[in-house]
Amino acid sequence: MDLKRSIFITIIVAFLYSIVILIGKDTTQPLIILTSMIATTISVATPLTLGALCGTFCERSGVTNIGIEGMMLSAAFFGWLTSIYLNTIYHVTPLPSLLIGVFVAILTGGLLGLLHAWLSVTFKVDQIISGTVINILATGVTGFLNRQLFFEKGSIFGGNVPHAPGTLPIIAIPGLSQIPVFGKVFEQQPIAWTAIILVFVANFVLFRTRWGLRTRAVGEHPRAADTVGINVSFMRYINVIIGGCLAGLGGAYFTLESVPSFEPLMTNGRGFISLAAMIFGNWTPLGAWAAALVFGAAQAFQINLQFFRDLIPPQWAFLQQSYIVGLTPYILTMIILAGLIGRTTSPAADGTPYEK
Amino acid sequence: MKTRLFAVLSFIVVLSMVITGCAPAAAPAAQATAAPAASAEVDCTKADSFCVGLVTDVGKVDDKSFNQSAYEGLKKAEKELGATIKYIETTDSKDYGKNIATFAENGYKVIVTVGFALGEATIAAAKQYPDVKFIGVDQSQTDVIPNLSGIIFDEDKSGYLAGVLAGLMTKSNKVGGVFATDTIPPVWRFGEGYRAGVKSVNDKAEINIVYHNDVGLDKTFVDPEWGKTTANSMMDKGVDVIFSAGGKTGNGGLIAVAGKSTADKPIYAIGVDADQYYSVPEAQKVLLSSAMKDITPAVFDNIKAVKDGTYKGGNFVGPVFLAPFHDLDSAVSADIKAKLDEVSKGLKDGSIKTNVAPTKPG
Repeated sequence: MDLKRSIFITIIVAFLYSIVILIGKDTTQPLIILTSMIATTISVATPLTLGALCGTFCERSGVTNIGIEGMMLSAAFFGWLTSIYLNTIYHVTPLPSLLIGVFVAILTGGLLGLLHAWLSVTFKVDQIISGTVINILATGVTGFLNRQLFFEKGSIFGGNVPHAPGTLPIIAIPGLSQIPVFGKVFEQQPIAWTAIILVFVANFVLFRTRWGLRTRAVGEHPRAADTVGINVSFMRYINVIIGGCLAGLGGAYFTLESVPSFEPLMTNGRGFISLAAMIFGNWTPLGAWAAALVFGAAQAFQINLQFFRDLIPPQWAFLQQSYIVGLTPYILTMIILAGLIGRTTSPAADGTPYEK
Repeated sequence: MKTRLFAVLSFIVVLSMVITGCAPAAAPAAQATAAPAASAEVDCTKADSFCVGLVTDVGKVDDKSFNQSAYEGLKKAEKELGATIKYIETTDSKDYGKNIATFAENGYKVIVTVGFALGEATIAAAKQYPDVKFIGVDQSQTDVIPNLSGIIFDEDKSGYLAGVLAGLMTKSNKVGGVFATDTIPPVWRFGEGYRAGVKSVNDKAEINIVYHNDVGLDKTFVDPEWGKTTANSMMDKGVDVIFSAGGKTGNGGLIAVAGKSTADKPIYAIGVDADQYYSVPEAQKVLLSSAMKDITPAVFDNIKAVKDGTYKGGNFVGPVFLAPFHDLDSAVSADIKAKLDEVSKGLKDGSIKTNVAPTKPG
């Protein structure tokens, strides 16, 4: 990610934070507001980061993936189903059932990644259609199974939603989490931590390893890559499956880390916001993470502005319109996409099947 | 290659359509098999039959929320009045009118429609089928139509009681509210009633109310992740009582409180609509009470009124009250309980006013 973009993103986040701190400082200590906003930002950004990493891996290898939403939703459902099944039917204790649930969620995402790769690499289907198929399939299958398994009489859970095994425990970083007030930032749940680690791992893999170089070559100029003996289809398959696994982990966030329940359509378009974050971040893991944090900060901004609504000075009355504030991330995306902060360049062969 | 590809794609598309299409279709079929065989043979067009149909809002009859509460009213009518009952679950808001007509055309005597969103479709149907008695849950009537009874609740009073409880229970003098969108009037009345209730007993308390104003109305009720994030953000700033209202979004808020509350610094949650002690078991240890609007008896009373011939068109105001304190009964002092009783009486006889506008102004 280039310097200009990082400065721009830092300024936006700092700007959003400082407005809220300025408004709320009369009743609440600035440090408490800051801590609370950072905590919200990180948790909101977690699924977006993982979704954007999924997009980055797929598109860097030359496969457009708009099925992230469907991958997340399916993973959220099957991960949750597994954990609840193990917990109620086999009486597995909560933590192992949750961890196996996370594993199944990743597997679900990976399998859908395989489907996407199969359709778009082997059969050279239009990749937008393939992604749409995954989204429609996910909505239908999860909605249908959710209803059949949990609400119909005579199903395995007998028409009652059983008591879920809870959510993944908070992991506090020793030392840092002991800092008064601000230490709260260092108390996050495992998927949130994993997402941050994965950002750096992905960045290393894509830009510092032979595998990453090959992946990018396949996404930029598959014919040249093929000429030097790189197996284009294989590279694309594996990268799309890796992407699927990342989206699957993002899905697990909804039902195993955030709240212990599944709702039809609960991903609520976050897969598509991830795509915007990926573009915002110029197809780099660090950029995607920064963009996800901007979206997170924008949501923290929206929640906290309503929280301090009574303190908003009259000359800023427009800030009381939460709809306007909610638009912040979308307006930012448009500014970026319009090329105001330097051009974003997609991988050259993104979205085009490779014909030998 | 091309034909194989075509076969694979068509298979997947058809499969996904079948599966998506199956969900709504499966429901009435399953219901029919679950119903007793005798009632399945009842011919609703005959004069001596008493058939009651229910049309849900976009949602299921087992949503642990208002659709389910209304359906419980029908089940009670089946048991106590010998009614034949059936439901249709709406999957698309464009089908409201069609679903209501299905019952009317089949000779149902009473049709219950659930939710603010079905208001207009219900009024249109009531005019089209003057012989059928309609009961609209959460549908306020401005003009009296003789065969349409709109069940409404004074959510502001229910929210007011929750506010009084929160205002008296808070130690940090910071109370919070997590709500679905304020463009749905019942949610707005809960939220603003709550605000008024807190102010009435504790003028020093800081009241933080956050509505989930997103572009999609449906989304604001099914976003537990948002509810949890918002409640967490409030608790980080020292809020120690949270009223969380708005379907699954609200449930997310209740679960968040259960996750942050500790023995030496307890944080309390207040649920909504039904007694959420039963619908959100994860929150039992922090759930002070729930601001209830009792849909089930209101629906049943209206059905019974049809049977008895005492049914009237217009508005029917259903009961609102607070749910029992359950596990936290000992945490609520006798003084607070006495105050709640007093406020509850005052709200009933009109000596206490909430001064909340029925819908969000402007």
